[in-house]
Amino acid sequence: MRARELYPGVYEIDILHATDDELMEISESMGLALSMEEMRRLKDFFASLGRNPTDVEIHAIAQGWSEHCSYKSSKKVLRKYIFGIPSKHALIVMQDDAGVVEFDENHAYVFKIESHNHPSAVEPYGGAATGVGGIIRDILNMGAKPIALVDPLFFAPPDYPYEKLNPGIKHPRYLLNGVVAGIRDYGNRVGIPTVAGMTYFHEGFVNNILVNAGCLGIVRKDKIVRSRVDKPSLLLVMVGGRTGRDGIHGVNFASRILGEKSEEERQAVQLGNPILKEPLIHVILEANEMGIIKGMKDLGGGGLGSVVGEMCYSGGVTAEIYLDKVPLKEEGMAPWEIWVSESQERMLLAMEEKDLDRLREICEKWDVEMSMIGKTKEGENLELYWHGKKVLDLPLKFVTAGVEYERPYKIKKVEKMQELPVEPNYREIFLRLLSSFNIGSKEWIIRQYDHEVQGRTVIKPLQGVIGYESHGDAAIIKPLYDSWKGIAITTVANPQLGEIDPYKAALYTVDEAVRNLVSVGARPHSFSDCLNFGNPEKEEIMGEFVESCRGLGEAARFLGIPYVSGNVSFYNEAFGKNIPPTAVLMAVGIIDDIRYAVTSDFKEEGNPIYLVGETKEEMGGSEYYRLIGAKSTTVPEVDLEELRKRSEELLKAMKKGVIRACHDISQGGLAIAAAEMCLGGNIGAELDLAPLGFMRADFKLFSESATRWLCEVQRGKEKEFESIVKARKIGVVSGNTLRVRDDSRWLFNVHLNIMRERWRAALRDYVG
Amino acid sequence: MLKATIIVRYKQGVDDPEGKSIKHSLELLNFKDIQEVRVAKYYEIYLDKPLEEGKREVEEMIRKLLVNPVIHDYEMRVEEL
Amino acid sequence: MWGEIMKVAVLQIEGTNCEEESYAAFKHFNQDVEYVHLNLVKRGKKRLEDYDILFIPGGFSAGDYVRAGSIFAARLKAIAWKELKKFVEDENKRIIGVCNGFQILIELGLLPGVDGISEVPEAALMVNDSNRFECRWVYLRKERDTSFSKEVPELIALPVAHAEGKFFTTSKILEEIEENRQVVFRYVSPSGGKAEYPWNPNGSLNDIAALVNSYGNVMGIMPHPERAFHWYQHPDWTRKKREVGDGYYIFKSLLHHK
Repeated sequence: MRARELYPGVYEIDILHATDDELMEISESMGLALSMEEMRRLKDFFASLGRNPTDVEIHAIAQGWSEHCSYKSSKKVLRKYIFGIPSKHALIVMQDDAGVVEFDENHAYVFKIESHNHPSAVEPYGGAATGVGGIIRDILNMGAKPIALVDPLFFAPPDYPYEKLNPGIKHPRYLLNGVVAGIRDYGNRVGIPTVAGMTYFHEGFVNNILVNAGCLGIVRKDKIVRSRVDKPSLLLVMVGGRTGRDGIHGVNFASRILGEKSEEERQAVQLGNPILKEPLIHVILEANEMGIIKGMKDLGGGGLGSVVGEMCYSGGVTAEIYLDKVPLKEEGMAPWEIWVSESQERMLLAMEEKDLDRLREICEKWDVEMSMIGKTKEGENLELYWHGKKVLDLPLKFVTAGVEYERPYKIKKVEKMQELPVEPNYREIFLRLLSSFNIGSKEWIIRQYDHEVQGRTVIKPLQGVIGYESHGDAAIIKPLYDSWKGIAITTVANPQLGEIDPYKAALYTVDEAVRNLVSVGARPHSFSDCLNFGNPEKEEIMGEFVESCRGLGEAARFLGIPYVSGNVSFYNEAFGKNIPPTAVLMAVGIIDDIRYAVTSDFKEEGNPIYLVGETKEEMGGSEYYRLIGAKSTTVPEVDLEELRKRSEELLKAMKKGVIRACHDISQGGLAIAAAEMCLGGNIGAELDLAPLGFMRADFKLFSESATRWLCEVQRGKEKEFESIVKARKIGVVSGNTLRVRDDSRWLFNVHLNIMRERWRAALRDYVG
Repeated sequence: MLKATIIVRYKQGVDDPEGKSIKHSLELLNFKDIQEVRVAKYYEIYLDKPLEEGKREVEEMIRKLLVNPVIHDYEMRVEEL
Repeated sequence: MWGEIMKVAVLQIEGTNCEEESYAAFKHFNQDVEYVHLNLVKRGKKRLEDYDILFIPGGFSAGDYVRAGSIFAARLKAIAWKELKKFVEDENKRIIGVCNGFQILIELGLLPGVDGISEVPEAALMVNDSNRFECRWVYLRKERDTSFSKEVPELIALPVAHAEGKFFTTSKILEEIEENRQVVFRYVSPSGGKAEYPWNPNGSLNDIAALVNSYGNVMGIMPHPERAFHWYQHPDWTRKKREVGDGYYIFKSLLHHK
């Protein structure tokens, strides 16, 4: 690589005379993660300008073009399936840093889910904490107060043998403990409740864990701040933490494949500081209340470079920035490092000069630093200065608009088959399911997160008698003091189905999201998607991505539920293995009056139990088949019309107050749903499966067919319930055991205490 | 320039749940024969003061913030660099 | 007294994070409540003596680095130790610390306060026996009527959310605390009996959940009354009807009794 120092810390890089090999060497040695094609495009561009670029310019472009910033592989597919689902509630969709949806006449809710996979695989504690910090800023910079966090996590099973681990790969137990601690220490410290999430175990995540984090906030409609500026001569002010070398090239890192080298790349993991963030939240919300913020964006992946770029480009202006005005953590940082640094806890505000003193006063009260670092202006070119010298002068469009690919893909054909295993010992297999990693109690994780802070959590993640709670389907937040209206939140993903049939898995994932929200009495309102996939340069992986998006889009479009924000994480690949396709949904529902909310725990002896929905012989991807090692590609089908009808019926019945408890049927099937309802209510039940018709009893118990719920109905209200909801009565709440028969044949009878012991033991020996 | 090093640990007889939990984790990783794990906090403080004055100041810091005498013992060393 | 409006300061520094719920509780009773950042006290813009009640809310003040509450306490001591002492010695004034606020009161030496005020801490709120942060609901039995508890029923449920809540002190001080009847609430089992884990969520000596000083005007409490102010904040409201949340009664006592 040929370079010439222009000024101290700034180099001119000779790419005009570089051969192809030399271009790749430049990409490699500067850590750009650009392909040959992209390097050639870079060279051509500077040839047309008739000059060589500075190192600042090259780094700025590489960042703008990274997968993470530009979505270069996914954009076309997303546009086709995910974007543009019509909704009269959605206010800002897929444009700014988070989606904005109408809550009531005067308020909107703001939310998004995002991945932080690669950094968490290398440094689980810092990576996960930073993921939480980043998503909070996305909500905050729309002017909203963050009021809920969610965290779907994906690991290999905690009993994975040490000796099977690839070099440099950490054991899932270590990763689980680190990630949970990171989320806990960050979320709890900033005072935002973690109300929902999931922890999923599958061998496919051994080399590459997934850590997704979502946040939801509430804002008065007249206080929404856009992530763009459309006026020249506004000051650009940085508020919050200082800029350091941490996180340099985090974005390029997220767009590359993990391998043995990753350990050394730990420096690409940024370190969040919740105690800087907490006052920063106050500063932003107070300044916004005064109405002095004209545009705002948080400095996440891509740092100052991508923030200034996107903020100005989408508003049709450009900017000049004085890099020497950026407050630094350490001396001797080069201008390009300042431009791409991903140090945490920083926000960029656009404001008028006259309001600067008011901001300063707020910052002083909270001991938060601020610095004016540039201003917006008209024109095409972005200009960066370093102690008065111009170090970057490029058309903003070229830096920010990035590239787009239409990647070739191949769709795997699924041959339908299903093995028929011998009938199991029901009691034994039921207890094994109850203590399996994916079904067993997640209490150890959930209780380490403060889900009560702010006092808004009116339906908790754990539901039931105090001290005996079981998993609920969704949590409900009551965002406003003087309104009964609530927001229900849940997260869903089904990698076990995804690896068999990504399209059907996507339909099922939407189905499950709807089920969860309806279970607590909420009407599904909007989605945010976090799409975690392997290497998109492989046609099969790109095929999985396309099929998942097709399913997600189709189902949501049918139901009229828009995707208002989202994130794509590719390159979840290591040692030649890709993760199972994992489309994660953060789903939000609205309940008009939280007093009608329903929880999953059985309430009262003598109440009848109803099954809603059809049970089918679809065992593909089920926990039961995984546990007994039987094969099936017959995954559950989703009938969207049925889903819509049953949901409407249930919501109507809940409004009448006839449903006392409701739980969706998912992993482990009907048997596990019933068990969880018993555990939470600390009361037994008797079930008879005969009304399900002619089918193997193990299929009746453990099938994970879509669009099903169990309901406990208030005794005496059976007629009213049956007149509203299409359902079959299958049992009654009673006693202190769960007793199940299929007509005259008894399948099992297990005491509550035994169920609870097994259910709680699932993760006990692997955590803490 | 002075360098003060301070180690703050639980007094004998005061339960150390962090130590216990780390012991448990180590045993899960197949390390046997561990008698006890105790956790302490270690501080390095650099200050520009003459030695005697610096010592007094570090003691003040310990008293005012770093140690709660009900549960903690500490060791302190101040040296000139 | 009933109907008299009190001036309440909800103290905060960076990392305080339960101030909003606490503020809302006082507002519900139409009290004259405001947020007071320690920096404003330091710069002379606010004075502690102007208030009737100091409320130190929960959170992770200054990150809870060093020890929970110790940095907040050290800063408050440096800024306004004299004023604070005067505040405690005035029987018409009261201080309540919740969770992190309780930790701060202990670090300040205002609690247990067996002889009023101590210059050094006489107790500690240590790391939970489980060695982890836990967010769960617990049952409390009222041990004594004080101006913080007069309106509170005998058995209530409140949420805890902390990693450092195990009350610990010397056996001599513990004895004095019991002798002076300074324990306001103890953790109990759902039926009101002796609490084992998780009913005693942290391993507190003598199941102590809340204490007053010997003057009876400073209380620290680990569970969060401000998060259980309304019935719908209780986790079992779909099972059990209530008019108000159990935490409501603590605020009611505080405002209706001197």
